[in-house]
Amino acid sequence: MPDKILTIANATKRYGPVHALDRVSLDVEEGEFLTLLGPSGSGKTTLLSAIAGFAPLTEGRIDLRGRNISNEPPEHRDFGMVFQGYALFPTMTVRDNIAFPLKVRKRPASEVRKRVDECLGLVQMEDFAERMPAQLSGGQQQRIALARALSFEPQVLLLDEPLSALDKKLRADLQWELKSLHDRLGVTFIYVTHDQDEALSMSDRVVILKDGRIQQQGVPDELYKFPRTRFVADFLGKSNFLDLPVTAREGDEMTCRIGGTNFPVTAPGATASGDVLNVALRPERIRLGAPGQELLDGIVRQVSYLGERCLVLVDHAEVGPLMISQPTWKAEVTPKAGLPVSFGWDVDAPVILEDGAA
Amino acid sequence: MMQQTSGFRIFFMTGAWMVLAFLLLPILVVIPVSLTDTSYIGLPKEELSLQHYVAYFQDDRWLSATWTSIWVGLVVAVCATVLGTTFAIGCWFLSNRASTIARWILITPILVPPVVQSLGFYRFWVTLGLIDTHGGVILAHTLLALPYVSISVFAALANLDPRIPQAARSLGASVWQTVRAVVLPAAKPGMLTGGIFAFIVSFDEIVGVLFITVRNVSTLPKKIWEGIQESIDPTIASVATMLVMLTIVVTIITIWRRRDGDLT
Ligand SMILES: Nc1ncnc2c1ncn2[C@@H]1O[C@H](COP(=O)(O)OP(=O)(O)O)[C@@H](O)[C@H]1O
Ligand SMILES: [Mg+2]
Repeated sequence: MPDKILTIANATKRYGPVHALDRVSLDVEEGEFLTLLGPSGSGKTTLLSAIAGFAPLTEGRIDLRGRNISNEPPEHRDFGMVFQGYALFPTMTVRDNIAFPLKVRKRPASEVRKRVDECLGLVQMEDFAERMPAQLSGGQQQRIALARALSFEPQVLLLDEPLSALDKKLRADLQWELKSLHDRLGVTFIYVTHDQDEALSMSDRVVILKDGRIQQQGVPDELYKFPRTRFVADFLGKSNFLDLPVTAREGDEMTCRIGGTNFPVTAPGATASGDVLNVALRPERIRLGAPGQELLDGIVRQVSYLGERCLVLVDHAEVGPLMISQPTWKAEVTPKAGLPVSFGWDVDAPVILEDGAA
Repeated sequence: MMQQTSGFRIFFMTGAWMVLAFLLLPILVVIPVSLTDTSYIGLPKEELSLQHYVAYFQDDRWLSATWTSIWVGLVVAVCATVLGTTFAIGCWFLSNRASTIARWILITPILVPPVVQSLGFYRFWVTLGLIDTHGGVILAHTLLALPYVSISVFAALANLDPRIPQAARSLGASVWQTVRAVVLPAAKPGMLTGGIFAFIVSFDEIVGVLFITVRNVSTLPKKIWEGIQESIDPTIASVATMLVMLTIVVTIITIWRRRDGDLT
């Protein structure tokens, strides 16, 4: 078990009546890539600011390797931060921007020079040292902001939506670079984003926030496969939501009914106690077949072709429209609007959601 | 289209030129008056003469009043810039309701009629023993100039992204280092404008000076005022002409520098 570098306990931040953070407790492990994921206004920036020391908590505490830092000013925390919008110093050259944290730490001039060159190399910006920030593109400014935040070898790097202002292609490139930088440097990254793909592709662990509360946390694969609430299932990828009446139950094995059809559902450790299961069903877990081939029958309403996959909306008399994602390279049927089809899924495909989760 | 609007055009063009003339003529009329060959204020009779300019440069009272106005103005500019900038930066960092209220209170000197304010200065300066001292004038002018400085620094800081000082802090700079490294550079254009404003406010101020000085302190506006009261000396016109010229030169330099600044 790796050591914890940061421990956040019961962090609460109120702005008047607004709970920007509501009893957030979170451990950050040494060297991990942790992502805070949530929709806009969910408190991601507030949590990051609290860690950085800009937003004093209303309640709760933050420990750095067991030492309470809740009341320490930002300059004593030694965390690098990359801001939304970069926040480069407009009156300083790129070199002076990166040298700034070293100069305030009174490092000797020769060391500062060497380290700045190293950092420029780290982000492949050696040729831009004497430029002013305004003379750089968004992606280049982003790299400089990163180099500046890493130049003093911080214990933790905090990143607030660093890629959100860039176009899609550049974003993908920088995602790879950030990830490989993390792997090379071994610095703990706390990364904020509202983009689920970014979160899933880069992180060791993802924390999902909503309305200032942690909804669920875990490794990307586990979160995607086993969302606990409807919000998480919906926010991370697409899901179909079904209410399945339970007709029989034997331990983890249950039998549910749709229309006249009974079928088994496996729900390890399911908390659902009522007669109806709220389940999430990923579109790619539903199989599509010719009529009679699968358990349930339906009619294709709409098809949307996405290259490697195609999304099919199928109407069923009982459960309403279902989204099905089918790989185009091994289609059982070629779906067309109005075509009668059948569909079904494996017993472990439906994920049981917690009751009352909106 | 042009035909239809031409009536309006003529009307508005004439109006605009008349307003301009109305604004400029009283200023420009001092120029011929300053060149008069008569010993009273009037237009030149027989020839143009520089005698009243010579008189200005030979009269110690004029020169000393001018010098007083200049150095008092400079001291006021420095004091008001330091205080106003400190105030504006403090408010910017707080940016809460109390600081908004403080900003409003600070600009009241602009809203209060000068006579009322001067009366207040007079009452207080008597108590403080500052009547008829240079210190008293400097203090009064600094108070009058403060709002101009802080308003222009506020305007400059409005362009400063609050995340920039945050970035400096997270990179290890103390509050003081942050102010020096990133806040002051952002405030600098406002400080420069504010300082020039403060100098002009002081250089130009007369109501307060008339209330709080007697014999000991004489500034240029006060001397001009007294010149008109005592004798109708055309030296006043030559002083006024030189001030107008100075203003024009400074304005041209400012515009020219700004154009240069925009190019880079
Ligand atoms: N300085 C502030 N004053 C008042 N409310 C704020 C302030 N900062 C954030 N909030 C509120 O706190 C909530 C969370 O904001 P934020 O952390 O910025 O969300 P996110 O970064 O996830 O979009 C929002 O409802 C926002 O309006
Ligand atoms: Mg945010």
